[in-house]
Amino acid sequence: MIIEQTNATTVLQSCGVPLLELRGISKSFPGVKALQDVSFSVWPGEVHMLLGENGAGKSTLMKVLCGAHQADEGAFLHRGEPVRIMSPTDARKLGIAVIFQEFSLVPYLDIADNIFLGRAPRGRIPGTLDRRLMLDEARRVLDLLGMDIDPRTKVHQLGIAQQQMVEIAKALSQNAGILVMDEPTAALSERESEQLFRVMARLKTQGVAIVYISHRMAEVFALGDRITVLRDGQRIRSLLPHEASPDALVQMMVGRSVDMTYPRHFGAPGETLLEISGLSAASGIRDIALTVRAGEIVGLCGLVGSGRTEVARAIFGADPITSGEVRVFGRIHHGGPEAAARLGVALIPESRKTEGLALNRSVADNIVSAGLPKLFSFGVFHPSRAREIARDIIARLSIATAGTQVAVGTLSGGNQQKVVIGKWLAAKARLFILDEPTRGIDIGAKAQIFALVDALVQAGAGVLMISSEQSEIVHVCDRAYVMRDKRIVGELQRGELSEQNIVLLGMHDA
Amino acid sequence: MLDRTLPSQPALLARIPGVVVMLAVLNIGFAWASPGFLSLANLSNVLAQSSVLLILALPMTLVIMTEGLDLSIGAVLSLASVSLALVAVATGSLVLALIVGVAVGAACGAVNGWLVAWLRIPPFVATLGMFGVAQGLALAVSDGQSITGIPASVQAMYSGAMLGIPVPILLMLAAALAMHVLLYTTPFGTYVFALGGNREALAFAGISQRRILLCVYTLAGAMGGLAGLLLTARLNSGHPSAGIGMEFDAIAAVAVGGTSFERGNGWLPGTVLGVITIGVLRNGLNLIAIPSSLQVCCIGVLVILAFVFEAFSGVRRGEPR
Repeated sequence: MIIEQTNATTVLQSCGVPLLELRGISKSFPGVKALQDVSFSVWPGEVHMLLGENGAGKSTLMKVLCGAHQADEGAFLHRGEPVRIMSPTDARKLGIAVIFQEFSLVPYLDIADNIFLGRAPRGRIPGTLDRRLMLDEARRVLDLLGMDIDPRTKVHQLGIAQQQMVEIAKALSQNAGILVMDEPTAALSERESEQLFRVMARLKTQGVAIVYISHRMAEVFALGDRITVLRDGQRIRSLLPHEASPDALVQMMVGRSVDMTYPRHFGAPGETLLEISGLSAASGIRDIALTVRAGEIVGLCGLVGSGRTEVARAIFGADPITSGEVRVFGRIHHGGPEAAARLGVALIPESRKTEGLALNRSVADNIVSAGLPKLFSFGVFHPSRAREIARDIIARLSIATAGTQVAVGTLSGGNQQKVVIGKWLAAKARLFILDEPTRGIDIGAKAQIFALVDALVQAGAGVLMISSEQSEIVHVCDRAYVMRDKRIVGELQRGELSEQNIVLLGMHDA
Repeated sequence: MLDRTLPSQPALLARIPGVVVMLAVLNIGFAWASPGFLSLANLSNVLAQSSVLLILALPMTLVIMTEGLDLSIGAVLSLASVSLALVAVATGSLVLALIVGVAVGAACGAVNGWLVAWLRIPPFVATLGMFGVAQGLALAVSDGQSITGIPASVQAMYSGAMLGIPVPILLMLAAALAMHVLLYTTPFGTYVFALGGNREALAFAGISQRRILLCVYTLAGAMGGLAGLLLTARLNSGHPSAGIGMEFDAIAAVAVGGTSFERGNGWLPGTVLGVITIGVLRNGLNLIAIPSSLQVCCIGVLVILAFVFEAFSGVRRGEPR
């Protein structure tokens, strides 16, 4: 705490007062204290990292900052003056702009309309928009971000990464004094992330204050001038980057020490469960060859857009194959997803909320959903049998839920992911394809998910895991394939697996 | 200006909207089946007869873009029709008739908007209720009878012409132009897209969703009143069942025009083409002597075909289904 004060003093001397200061902010929702007496400040030209597990209160704090939620208690000071943030309009007037992770974009409007939604310049004819000014300004901001795209493009035509860039452009165009970013790089490629970091550096020299939420330790230390850790709605500590190690930060976030190396029992692999040779698909992937054996976790890495998800979809039969073959459990598989599921192949998709779960249905309904024909004879559903199966899976995976009949949407991200895995376990799957299994899951839950995956392979399953978190691949996998430009460019054995090797293989100019 | 890269351009054929193909096919088919179809008089007739439907379908597009629906529009038209007919017969004034018709329609629409936006009643339910209320009021006000003796000034709204162009065609052109400007060049228009596309974006932008919804439904009601005036002029009487089934035609025209019912994917020129397609279909079927009961069947088939076609070309464009 003493160190924190000296830090504040040094900045104080150079800048005067914080650009924005929150004092004793509390916010409750029915049944939850989302924020409790949180104090927090940002100074001009500072990148303030906000760290915390899911549910720690980061999103609530962000929504309070941007006026989407109103604080129950506490005060805001803008350049030392008390202010009120009761609505998004108030926040905007104070120069606060937010880059959301869940995109705040309208699909059938173009980029320029989206950038100016709710604050568009008016044209000479009363009531109309000044399109020329909007397009010029949109081009300027897109150029700043190194995006070579027509601002008249409709947003629904853009990929996820481009949409994230538009979201960033939207915030930048407000010329805000305070920028709040919620995991802005989660959907970006390395090149786009670096462009964003360059823009952030320029904004810092202009005195813009940046609040940056991230799960990536590397970013926290590379970009952060100051770090604040939240846990259970409370501020645990604010500190300077050199005052803490990644391990110490993780410990603050979870409140206990978590082993950063995930538990893994490496053993001799068994029979081949999946064998792909010469596979090309309509989605653009070419000449893919890989194997997964029983007892193995095989990584599939590469940059976003390198073709990893397309490989998973082709294996599962979700995209048409143009040449090559997929052998599952020794037999050629050329059916669709239903046939794959019947064979015992489980695809655990990247976006579990939209593709993996029926959020408003119960835990039990979700758990039995993948194996209905196998679990119930003659097509008759027995609720008591479903509950029994669900109870078994809940116990085996230690899913934290109040019961089998609770809606899945009310569980935390980690437990939702366990339900997705559990439903395939109930369906007796033996080959698991995991696409970004830890996206949006906090560190404590990650370790549990990997312990679970380890147990799966020990029991004779095979796993193909797609992940952008190279450290996860390195710690968890027996082997890994690296993709670039829709091809597999290399295979790394356990001994060769390192983040450096993965990056070297995956880079374009390697 | 266009030198910047656009995302992959789909093949030209896949970019032709389904409604254009359907309209072309129908035109060729009817021209072949009925020699009178392509005459200028008949085509002008098709357009004039489409005017009432277009004035209903334009705001219906906006309602559907907000992931809503207005089932009451036909009944509201009927109520406006009998109300303005009574006023017109009593006073002989076109202006008063217009004001009453639009006001009655707007009032019904505003109640719809209030129910949807403030009480959060699903649009289907709210406007179904209004359908009953407006239809019942129309019967009560008119005592179930046609109101005849419509003054010539009101009749001229349908039968008259300016510069050789029939007034209803001028009116529908003006309505389409006004709605186009409203949707594509004003902030209000972008909010309508956002209501269907991403309501959270609107909330973060500090825009009141309720007021936009209220405006959209009120606009639909007001246009229903205007359509009521046009239909009263055409029928030469105010009739409590004048608008029966109109909501079906209006929603069908929007659907045929390629507006999908999700994510705020609306296309106003498509609605204009959809209305003309339905007009051409009804006219052509009349010419080859198909009874009107079967015409409704054909419109239903057209709606389903439009969706199938859109889904198919979406696949060809490589869009996710």
